[in-house]
Amino acid sequence: MEFLGFLVRRLLWSLLVLFGLSIVIFTIARIVPGDPARMALGPTASAEQVADLQEKLGLNKPMVEQYGLFLTGLTQGELGRSLLTEQSVNSDIRKTFPATLELVISTILFAFVLGVPLGVAAARWKDRWPDTLVRAIAIFSAVLPAFFLALLLQILAGYVLNILPTTGRLPASMSFDADITGLILIDSLLRGRFDVMGEAARHLLLPTLALGLATMGQIARITRASMIDVSRQDYIEAARAFGVPDRLRMFKYMLRPAFVPPLTITGLEFASLIGNAFVVELIFSWPGMASYGIRAIVQKDLNAIMGVVMVSGAFFVFVNLMIDVLVGVVDPRVRIRGSRT
Amino acid sequence: MNTVQIFGTIDPAKISDYTDYMAAVNLYDGLVTVDGSGNLVPQLAESWVVSDDASEVTFTLRADATFSDGSKVEASDVVYSFERLLRINQGPANLFAGVVEPGNVVAVDARTVSFTLSKTFAPFMATVPALMIVNEEVVEANLGDDDGQTYLSANVAGSGAYLLDSWDRGSRMIIKRDPNYYGEMPESAIDEVRWIVTNDEATVRALAASGELTMSSQFQSPDTYAALVDMGRFRLVSQPTATAFYLKLNSQLAPTDDVHIRRAIAYATDFETIRDVIFPGEPMTTVLPEAFADFHAGDVEGPSYNLEMAAAEVAQSAYAGQQIPLTLGYVAGALFEEEISLLMQANLESLGFVITQQPDPWNRVTEIASQVETTPNVNQIFFGPTYPSPDSMFFTQYHSDAAGTWASMEWLQDPEVDALIDAARATGDVAEQAELYKQVQRNLAEQMVSVPLLAQTVQHAMDNCLEGFNAVPMQSFDYDFARYSWTCM
Amino acid sequence: MSQQEALSNAWQNWFRFSRNPTAVIGAIIVITSVSLALLAPNITTFPEHVGAVVDFRNRHQPPSAVHWFGTDNVGRDIFTRVIFGLRVSLLLAVVVLGIAIPVGVILGLLAGYFGGWVEIVIMRITDIALAIPPLVMALAVAAVLTPSLTNSMLAIALLWWTWHTRLIYSLTRQLRSQEFVEASETLGASKAHILFREILPNCVSAIAVKTSLDAGFVILIGAALSFLGLGIQPPTPDLGTMVASGASFLPDYWWESVLPGCAILFVALGFNLLGDGLRDMFDVEDVR
Repeated sequence: MEFLGFLVRRLLWSLLVLFGLSIVIFTIARIVPGDPARMALGPTASAEQVADLQEKLGLNKPMVEQYGLFLTGLTQGELGRSLLTEQSVNSDIRKTFPATLELVISTILFAFVLGVPLGVAAARWKDRWPDTLVRAIAIFSAVLPAFFLALLLQILAGYVLNILPTTGRLPASMSFDADITGLILIDSLLRGRFDVMGEAARHLLLPTLALGLATMGQIARITRASMIDVSRQDYIEAARAFGVPDRLRMFKYMLRPAFVPPLTITGLEFASLIGNAFVVELIFSWPGMASYGIRAIVQKDLNAIMGVVMVSGAFFVFVNLMIDVLVGVVDPRVRIRGSRT
Repeated sequence: MNTVQIFGTIDPAKISDYTDYMAAVNLYDGLVTVDGSGNLVPQLAESWVVSDDASEVTFTLRADATFSDGSKVEASDVVYSFERLLRINQGPANLFAGVVEPGNVVAVDARTVSFTLSKTFAPFMATVPALMIVNEEVVEANLGDDDGQTYLSANVAGSGAYLLDSWDRGSRMIIKRDPNYYGEMPESAIDEVRWIVTNDEATVRALAASGELTMSSQFQSPDTYAALVDMGRFRLVSQPTATAFYLKLNSQLAPTDDVHIRRAIAYATDFETIRDVIFPGEPMTTVLPEAFADFHAGDVEGPSYNLEMAAAEVAQSAYAGQQIPLTLGYVAGALFEEEISLLMQANLESLGFVITQQPDPWNRVTEIASQVETTPNVNQIFFGPTYPSPDSMFFTQYHSDAAGTWASMEWLQDPEVDALIDAARATGDVAEQAELYKQVQRNLAEQMVSVPLLAQTVQHAMDNCLEGFNAVPMQSFDYDFARYSWTCM
Repeated sequence: MSQQEALSNAWQNWFRFSRNPTAVIGAIIVITSVSLALLAPNITTFPEHVGAVVDFRNRHQPPSAVHWFGTDNVGRDIFTRVIFGLRVSLLLAVVVLGIAIPVGVILGLLAGYFGGWVEIVIMRITDIALAIPPLVMALAVAAVLTPSLTNSMLAIALLWWTWHTRLIYSLTRQLRSQEFVEASETLGASKAHILFREILPNCVSAIAVKTSLDAGFVILIGAALSFLGLGIQPPTPDLGTMVASGASFLPDYWWESVLPGCAILFVALGFNLLGDGLRDMFDVEDVR
C-alpha cells in the first residue's frame, strides 16, 4: 500500500514536470523572431495564404488560448507538421525514436555491465593500481567531449584500422524491416535473422562506446565510493568478524545496498546522455530522433524542434521515474522518504 | 554513392535543386530527356512534331510505355501532370508559367498530346524534360486535401527505370531497378542505387574503405579524391560542365548597390587561387560558361585580380573614405566555400571593408534569398542550366520576373536586360539569339552584378567497374542511372 | 576571529590544498589556461591569424618549430588559434556562471530561508527546469536564435542557475536552524543581514567547488554547440568549431582537429580536477 502511494506521488510529480516543460517549450516557440505561419508556408506564399494559416493555427488568439490549443494538441500526440519532411512531426518521431531507443538502451547496458565491475574492483583493491586506473578513467571520461571521442573512434576504428562500420544501423546493402519492437537487434533475433543481428551489433558498437564512456566512468566512480562506504558499515564488520568469506560478503551483503547510488547517478547522467546523443547520432549518421532533431535545429524547423525537445524531456522524466521505482524496490527505505528529487 | 545535401522532395511538381532532380530523374520519366551534348532524346514520347510557326508541339507516346504499377502511360496523364504542376506552382512550374496556359495541353487521343504555346518561346522544347509524368489514377486515389502533395512527398507514382525502395530522410535513399521498365536499359545495368547523405569527408573515406561506396559526390575535397584513388579501387573522372560558380552581389542592398563597390569586389577576387587551390574549374570571362560556345561573348575581357584597381574603384564609390560593412554569405558546412569566403574577407578587409561572415544551411539560403533585405551582399552560388538552353542561364538569374530565388540573388531589375532576354525568347533565329545574348553578357560585365568565378570541372571518384557518367547540361540528368552500367562480372 | 587566527586558518587551508595532488594539478592547469588566454596576443607567434588571414601556400603544414600545432586548411597557425580559442571558451564560462551563480544563489537563499510559498514556487520551477536535459535545451534555444557567442551564452545560462539554486537551498535549510542564525534573529538583525552576512559566507566553499566543476561542463557544452555550428561564427577562433572543420581532414592532417580537441579536454580537465580537489579539501562531499 505504502509502495503504491509512493508510485502515485511520483507519477503525479512527473506529470507536473511535463506540464512545466510544455510551458517552457511554448514560450520559446513564441519568442522566436518571425511569423510561424510565414515560415511554414515558405517564401512563395501569398499574404492571403499566410492569413489563412494564421487563422487555422490560431495565431491571432490570445496567448493563453494559444497555449491551451498547443497543450490539447500535445495530449493528443499532435505536434504539427515538419517543414523539413512535410510529414507530421508525430510520425517522424515515431519513425526515428526506435533507433535512438536502441542506442540509449545499449549505452546504459554497456555503462552498467562495465562500470559496476570496474567500481567493485577499484573498491576491492583500494589505493592499488586498479583503483588508480578506474579513477583516471572516471575523471577523463567526464571531461572528454562526446563529439571528440566519437570523431576519434570513427577515424581510428572505422578508417585507420577499418574494423568497424561507422555509419547507420545496418550496411546499405542490407534491408531489414524492424516491425515488432523497432529495435533491430531484438527484431532480428525474433525473426531468426542472425546475419542482420550480427551486423546491427557491429554498427551499434562505436556509437555506444562514444555515448557510454562518460556514464560508465561515473557509474564506476559511484560504485567504488558506495562499496567503500558500505564496507565500513557495522553489519559488514560483523560479517567479517563472524568469518563470512570475502567473496560472499562482497556479493551478498555489499553489492545490493551499494547498487542504489549507481542507479541514482544513471538517472542524473541520463540528461547529459540524451544531450550527447545529438552529436553522436549526427557523427555516426545514426537515423534516430536526435539526428532528426539536429537537422530540424539547423534548418530552423520549429515544430520538429519543439517535438524533439518535448519527447527528449519526457524520455528523461520517464527514465527517472523508472529508476526511482527500481530504487524503491532495491532499497525499501526510499519509499518512506518519498521521492528522490 | 554519397551525396552532400539531403533530398528535399521527390514530388515532380516541387523538385527544384540539384539533389531533388537527382532522385526524380531516376523515379520518373518525362516525354523527352537530354543527352551529354544537350540534345533532346525520346523517352516516353517516341516522336514529336513542331508546327511551322513554333506555336504548337505534338508528342506521340510510345505504345509500350507503362507506369511502374503496370498501367499504360496515356496522353491524359501528361495533361494531368502538367496541370497539377501549374496548380501547385512550385519547382519547374516557372518554366512553363505564361508560356503554356492550363487547358492548352490537350490529349488528342490516348497516345497523342499537343501543347499550344501562348507566345513564341524559343527555348520551349528544352524545358520539356523538366515535366515529369505522374500516374493520374494513383495520385487521384491519394489526393488528400493538397493535390496529392503529402502522398507524393513519400511515394512515387511514375514510370521511371527505378522504384523507390526506402528513404530515410537525411541519411539515405535506396532505389531499385524496375524489372518491368518499358524502356531500354544497358546490358549489365545497375540494379540498385543507394545514396548516403553525408558531407563529412571522413565518413566518405570510411565508406570507401569498407567497400560500401561505388561513386563519390562531386563535392569532396581534393584530399579525399586522392585518398580514394590511392585505395586502388577508384579512378577520378573529371569533366568540364556548363555549371557556373558565381559571387552573386545583391544589387539592391547597400553597399553593393553601387557599381563601383561591385567592381571593387570583382577586382579583389583572387581567381587563380580559387581555381587552382580551392575548387577545380575553368576560367570564366562572362556570366555564360564557354560550354555554350555559340552564345558566348568572346570579346568581353573577364574580371581580374588587382587590388590597386579595387582600391581605385572603392575611391570612386559613394562609400569612399568610410568603413564599409559587407556581408559574405555561403553555404554552411561547405568547406571550400568557407575557404573562399575567408580569402575574400582577407582581401576586402585590406580595402577598408568591415566583413561579416554569414554561413547558412542550404534550405536557409533559399529562404533568405526571397527578400532583398535578407539577401547577403555577396553570395557564393553554383548555377547550372536547368534546361539545355542559354535562356536558362539568363532568364532564371537575371530577368526581373525571376527575382526572389537563390538563383537570382543579384536582385537585378534592369529593363534593358529584361528586354534583351525577352527578345531572344521570341525569336527562332539562332544567330539573332546569339547576338542578343552577347549583348546581355556585355551589359552584365559592365554592371558586374555577378562575379564569374569559374566553370565547374565536375569530379567524381568512381569505382573502376562503374561506367556511364556523362555531364549533361541540365540539372542532374547525368545521374540518371539507367545510363550507367557495371563492367565487371 | 583575530588576524592571527585567520592567518593560521588560511595557512592550514593552503597546507591541505598543497597536499592534494589532484587539486594542485587542476589549479596549475587552470592558472596556465587563464594566463595563456589573457596573454594570447603577446605569446602567440601569429596573432594576426585570429582574423581572416589566408596563406594557401602554407596550408596543412604539420606541427613544426615555426607552427607548433601545424597550420589549418587556409594556412593559419593552429597554436595561435587554439590559444585565442581558449579565450572564447573561458569567456563563455565566466559569463554563463556570472549570470547563473548570482541568480541561483539568491533564489536558493530565499527559498531555503523563507520557506512557505516562496519555497514552493522557486523550488518547483527549479525542479522542472532540472528535468530538461541542458544540452537539448541549449540546442533548442540556440537554434531558434541566430548563431552567435552571445546567444549560446544565453542558451546555456538559461538553465544553469537551477543547479546553484538546488545546492544553496539545501545548505540554507540546514543553516537556518543553526544556533548562530537563531542568535542573530533574536538580536533583531535584518533579513538581508542574516541571508548575506550569516548564511551566505557559510556557503562559500560549496559554491567554490560547484563553480569550478561547472566551469568545465559549461566549456564542454559550449564546445558542443559550436561543433554543431551554433556558436561563434568564423573567422573568430573557437575550439569546437576548429574540431568540426578539422574533422574533414582526418586522419591525414590529424592535428587540425585533434589538437584543438585536446585543448578542450585540457581546460575542462583542469576545472574538474580543481573542483574535485577543493571538494576533498572543504569536505563538502555532496556537491556535484
